[in-house]
Amino acid sequence: MKTMKSRRGGNDRGGIRKRGPTRTDRDGDMDMDGGGARAKRNRADKSALGGRAAGTGAGGRPSGSNRGQPRNKPIDSDLIQRAIYSADSQANVRDHKKKTGGDLELFSVRGWKSSKAASNRDGGLESLIAFLERRMNSFIKSGPRAKITKSRTEGDTLVAFVRPDLAGHMLRINNNVFAGAHVTVEAYTAANALDQELAAADPVPGSTADTKTKMTTILGKRFFPATKLLDLSKLADDPDLQAMGIFSNVSTKSKFFPALMKVWELGFKTVAERREAVESVSLADNKLSNISSVTTLAQSFPDIQYLDLSKNNIKNAQAMIGWRWKFRDLIFLDLTENEISSDPTFKDTMLKWYPKLQTLNNVQVRTPEEVAAQKRTPIPVLPPHFIDESQVGENFVRAFFPGYDNDRNGLVTSVYDDQSTFSLNVNTTAPRAGQTETAGWGEYIRKSRNLDKISHLSARMSRSFKGVEQIREVFNALPPTRHPDLIAKAEQWLIECHPVPHLPDPTGQSPTGVGGLSLMVHGQLEESVGGKIETRSFDRTFIIGPGNTPGGIRVVSEIFCLRAYGGHEAWSPEIQALFQVPQVAAPGPVPAAAPVPVATPAPPAVPAAAPSGNVAEGYGLPRPGKSDTQLQQEQMVAQMSGKSGMTFEYSEMALAGNGWNPELAWKNFEQLKVSSLEGSPFDSPWNDN
Amino acid sequence: MATASEDTLTKVSTEAATDFVKTFYPALGSNRESLSSYYSLEPTTILFNGNRVADGAAVQEIFTNQMSPTHYEVQSYDCQIINKAYPTILPGGGLKPQSEMGVKDMSFLIVVSGFVRYGEGRDQPQRGFSETFVLVPNPSAERARGRKDWLIESQNFRLVV
Repeated sequence: MKTMKSRRGGNDRGGIRKRGPTRTDRDGDMDMDGGGARAKRNRADKSALGGRAAGTGAGGRPSGSNRGQPRNKPIDSDLIQRAIYSADSQANVRDHKKKTGGDLELFSVRGWKSSKAASNRDGGLESLIAFLERRMNSFIKSGPRAKITKSRTEGDTLVAFVRPDLAGHMLRINNNVFAGAHVTVEAYTAANALDQELAAADPVPGSTADTKTKMTTILGKRFFPATKLLDLSKLADDPDLQAMGIFSNVSTKSKFFPALMKVWELGFKTVAERREAVESVSLADNKLSNISSVTTLAQSFPDIQYLDLSKNNIKNAQAMIGWRWKFRDLIFLDLTENEISSDPTFKDTMLKWYPKLQTLNNVQVRTPEEVAAQKRTPIPVLPPHFIDESQVGENFVRAFFPGYDNDRNGLVTSVYDDQSTFSLNVNTTAPRAGQTETAGWGEYIRKSRNLDKISHLSARMSRSFKGVEQIREVFNALPPTRHPDLIAKAEQWLIECHPVPHLPDPTGQSPTGVGGLSLMVHGQLEESVGGKIETRSFDRTFIIGPGNTPGGIRVVSEIFCLRAYGGHEAWSPEIQALFQVPQVAAPGPVPAAAPVPVATPAPPAVPAAAPSGNVAEGYGLPRPGKSDTQLQQEQMVAQMSGKSGMTFEYSEMALAGNGWNPELAWKNFEQLKVSSLEGSPFDSPWNDN
Repeated sequence: MATASEDTLTKVSTEAATDFVKTFYPALGSNRESLSSYYSLEPTTILFNGNRVADGAAVQEIFTNQMSPTHYEVQSYDCQIINKAYPTILPGGGLKPQSEMGVKDMSFLIVVSGFVRYGEGRDQPQRGFSETFVLVPNPSAERARGRKDWLIESQNFRLVV
């Protein structure tokens, strides 16, 4: 069991001290991490868009500007100053708005974090937006209704995008009361937002840049890259903070933490690097009676696993309500020496709040198996179903994705014809892995044909693309991408394939049409967004059939769905293994009422596509005349098959050969798998091939 | 066969996809005894996380008897026409003549992205899914109320998050 490595102190500070308090790169971003993280980044550079030309498809965009450049440069305080004051400063307000919001005007809304709505699951955002729209509508006599076209949060600030004609109405809401709290509404610029936070935390007015530098130094001393710990305990005793006079005044005291978080965020070039840097945060011994002054921790560190809040004055769950839906990956929480720990419902509440929590106040409250079991689905996750015809589907996939990454023009010419149709849609609200933040959807969203949102016929038509030239045009307008290697990174892909009948015959000869394949590909892609590498997940379905194309195969229809990065755990059968083995190995007869896995394959409808196991109906189900032992063995076979991807026959052989000991059988299977399975998603000793 | 214009084809296909998505997913949650009515009598492939299911009746059986309560939320979906003149085999045998075909004789692809919660209560984790359907014209000539114009020919559900 991993435990918090806080308060152990001094000798694991890595490179930070040796190299001075902070580093800045050419963009003026601080680089606070030590050697370990640097090695990782270099590796990422090679595998990502860096290295090779990012825009090999037409319309290539500038790829990451300085990635791969040496970062060991001496600190340049001008850069920090520029980061705060240059590009986006007051004089350029208009330009800046244009850049980020199209024709929309941006406003910052603050103060709502202390409203009653802040304890809602979404932090009160939905009600806040509804409130702003309602208020604006109350000012409108005629004309179109007011709408917050889009929005995002930055720390305690809601950034709202509205039509220019609503600007006056937005500003009138300033100082109105929302759910018991006064909200501030002002014109927004990113530079202003940081300035405001820093200025508010500034003990000496006008020393913003200096404050930033000092905070950077303080963070550098408290960050331990080797253990991925940010130790923010005993802040009031910190001599540097005392010297700054932060705590001598109530106002700067309350603004200090959000500003500190902002400075931390600026220290990283990408969100991914920032997330990677820290797993543990300690806020121990800070006399906190609730989390309101440190609530922004949840925005800057959404996916930490270890949180130490010991030795504070937190009385009850209500004092932590703002973190009710935060820290979804928390596995360790320490609230010892807080009154809340003696509450009889304390343990239950924390278990309910944090689904992955395993250690509470240094006591194990949940096992890893119990955490895994929560992810269980009633339908077991099996390896991909891949029924190909003469490797047509496999060859298509092998050619398509490298082509999409490197030569979209060539790809379009080789597999699309004048009847091919293509459209894409963005699921902007899809569940994601951890608390991934997503870059904007840019070109994708302008072409997104999510029918749930795009309801006008004209838009539905203009967002569907037919024929080689239209598809070429849309492909070339989409950002350059890099997909993981199909073999080396097989686990990041899930590719399924099955025949579909009655596609239109391109020659027009067969009245019943021609047969083809449906290919469903789930995976991830990387692209360069404003110099940063973003990883997105996608689902891409192709209907392919014979055609008069160079390769004889054409895409009949294709739908491409993009969503925030969601990882690839969901289709890994291993996850299921964690809870299936103990279930099967349980001694004694299986109760008849036990939930039966849906895994039992039904008799195949089409002989050509039959799985290779001959499985009788009712296999694995209790039947009159079936002995408990047989039932149990059948269920073991089904589980083994589900877990391993082997056919029922092989699973039965594997189990029988290991004296019906599923653990032993699994161990042998794993050894076998290593020696025979090359890791390709198309590999064959398993089901369906 | 009447030649439908591109806008009619788009209108009919996207509205059919919308009708399907707006009724099928609620049915998976709370109207499970109606599920088999969404399926063609001889679907080619039905898959849930790689598990093959025989037909609509089997899907209905699994959902009514073996599945905990589920809540599906569709977040994004889209469709494309596959075959504007799908060859329908009439119940009495034989192909539907081209002369009798209309705009609704199309088969089409639907791809859905959303999340599902297994078990009761909003605290259950949201699992992202992606699901692909091919819908084909309903060959039945009956004109009963609630008759579906299109039925599921193939379906592939996968948890992806």
